[in-house]
Amino acid sequence: MRDQPVDFALIGHQESWRATADVFALLRGPEYPAVPDEEIMSIVPWIPPRAVCRVTTHSLLGTVAQGMYIDSFIPPDRLDIAFMQENLKRVRKAAAYAIKAGAKIVSLGGFSSILIEGNFDMIPDRGASVFTTGNSLTVAFIVRGIGKMCAQEGRDLRTAIVLIVGATGDVGSGCARCLAPLAGRMILCARNMERLRRLQEELVTQGGQVDVAASILELPARPDVVICAASMPSPTLLLGQLAPDAIVCDAGYPKNLAPFGNRNGTKVFYGGLGQVTCGMTFAPAVGGVLNRHPFPDVVHGCLLEGMTLALERRFEPFSEGRGFITPKRVEEMERMANRHGICLAPLYNGDGPIENSRHCQPERTEQWA
Amino acid sequence: MEAASNTNDTAVVAASTMPSSASIWQDVLAQAITGELIASMNYQSLAEICTDEEEKAEALEHAASESGHAAAFAAEGRKLGVAPKDNVEGQYWKRLRVAFLRCVAERDFVGCLIIQEVMLESFAVASYARIGKVGPGSLGETFTAIGAEEEEHIDHAMSILRAARELDVQKFDDKVHALHLEVMTTLAEMLAREDKNGHCEVCHGNCMKATLPGVGLTTSELRGASLQQYLTTLDMLGLPGEMTLEWVTRLPV
Repeated sequence: MRDQPVDFALIGHQESWRATADVFALLRGPEYPAVPDEEIMSIVPWIPPRAVCRVTTHSLLGTVAQGMYIDSFIPPDRLDIAFMQENLKRVRKAAAYAIKAGAKIVSLGGFSSILIEGNFDMIPDRGASVFTTGNSLTVAFIVRGIGKMCAQEGRDLRTAIVLIVGATGDVGSGCARCLAPLAGRMILCARNMERLRRLQEELVTQGGQVDVAASILELPARPDVVICAASMPSPTLLLGQLAPDAIVCDAGYPKNLAPFGNRNGTKVFYGGLGQVTCGMTFAPAVGGVLNRHPFPDVVHGCLLEGMTLALERRFEPFSEGRGFITPKRVEEMERMANRHGICLAPLYNGDGPIENSRHCQPERTEQWA
Repeated sequence: MEAASNTNDTAVVAASTMPSSASIWQDVLAQAITGELIASMNYQSLAEICTDEEEKAEALEHAASESGHAAAFAAEGRKLGVAPKDNVEGQYWKRLRVAFLRCVAERDFVGCLIIQEVMLESFAVASYARIGKVGPGSLGETFTAIGAEEEEHIDHAMSILRAARELDVQKFDDKVHALHLEVMTTLAEMLAREDKNGHCEVCHGNCMKATLPGVGLTTSELRGASLQQYLTTLDMLGLPGEMTLEWVTRLPV
């Protein structure tokens, strides 16, 4: 444990109290009396960010990368912008932990990535560690998922109206750049109209047909493909604006469209997730409780980006800042991931799998756009 | 509860403090005084095994300082018109003292520092900081000031303990774990929501824990803050975080 190299560190958090309690119970071990959930909820918020387990990622090439999963212990009921300062403090401490552990590359997962993507200068003195938001691979898996879902449902993306909610964020704008050349028409939705206009101008210059909307209530057309790159405050409101058989990719944090999806023919799936074909090993063996997905070895793209870079021995801040993700970089990242057997996870939503295969199929990465 | 002594401070505090609050503070102070007396006894015992004259003098100085803290808390009790009862033979405090004396018997200077500076002081620093925030008037100020002084002790011990760990990391971490199992288990039982081992023998009536919300405190908060301080201190010593996390999840609740 003490001398193991730390090629990568993954900074994350649990998305529910159930998941938190499961991790706690597993670390405690079956030989100790079970701790009531209410006690766990009173203890966990006090735990300073720290490693929960060591992770070994296996590559198709037969190599491995060794790292650690660091939990920021953001309480699941505080995964909200209202707790931004408190959560930023936790992410900074988690980052400091990774740096102290000598991590060569640090990937920011979930809410940590959202908090830090525009605030990289808030990370403490990084020493020899480099940081990536992991958003390039997240974008790759979201866009790949859209393509796969369209094929599965017999839709043609070239004639589709694609809506991106949260379009000015790092993931949203990356998806917009990748999809604008492929889609029939794009609608970009976000609250900041100035940023929206800038992105619209950029994409129109490149030949895309792009509209903008400051609210999902002001959409110029009924979209039939949607990417939610931001968690939806009102999922029912969104679903009411869509074509009845729309394909919806829930890629926000936390994912909250599933309970409302699959109504009136709407097809919701969780986006941005990848699978490690050759598997991962965890010490202690918390893999089973950290992976809350219906398929084995499924991880968020943002975390997989760190593992990929570690397997490639490319310790560089591949995704940094906000708004710099391009199709070329996404393609490069996906190609690297695929080479090690890291690829789009089988599709699923809150109701379970929506395809039969339990394993992804590593395939040649098609060129973006 | 004893009658309030007739001082101006008493009049001011008593006016703003409900009798039930005073009763709760009486028990909070009783625990704090007992803890300080145990600390003072521990430092005196530590002085007996110090081979370095400077360290010995420092241990005795700490012992005197902890006695002074106990006296300061007792004085706060008098201001509130209560007489907190200290009892170093109370079941939990006695167990903590026994663990310390075992290290003394083994002339284990490092073990003594781990118990007193890492475990007991983490508990004191974190608890006093929380109590200081809600304690009325000079009571809160005293807790805050004493908590800050205890923190200075930890800083001093850290350099000695880090050096000890560098000599043999595995042996050092094993020692911390063995002491954790004994000392932190006792502290965790002490801070658990229910007294599964019966009365602590320090509180003047029934267990005070359920009444703490009456003065703006909870056992969950005190336990959480103490564990946080403890884990942070272990991090500063360089113990792997995933290892200490496992230790903490296995404590009794």
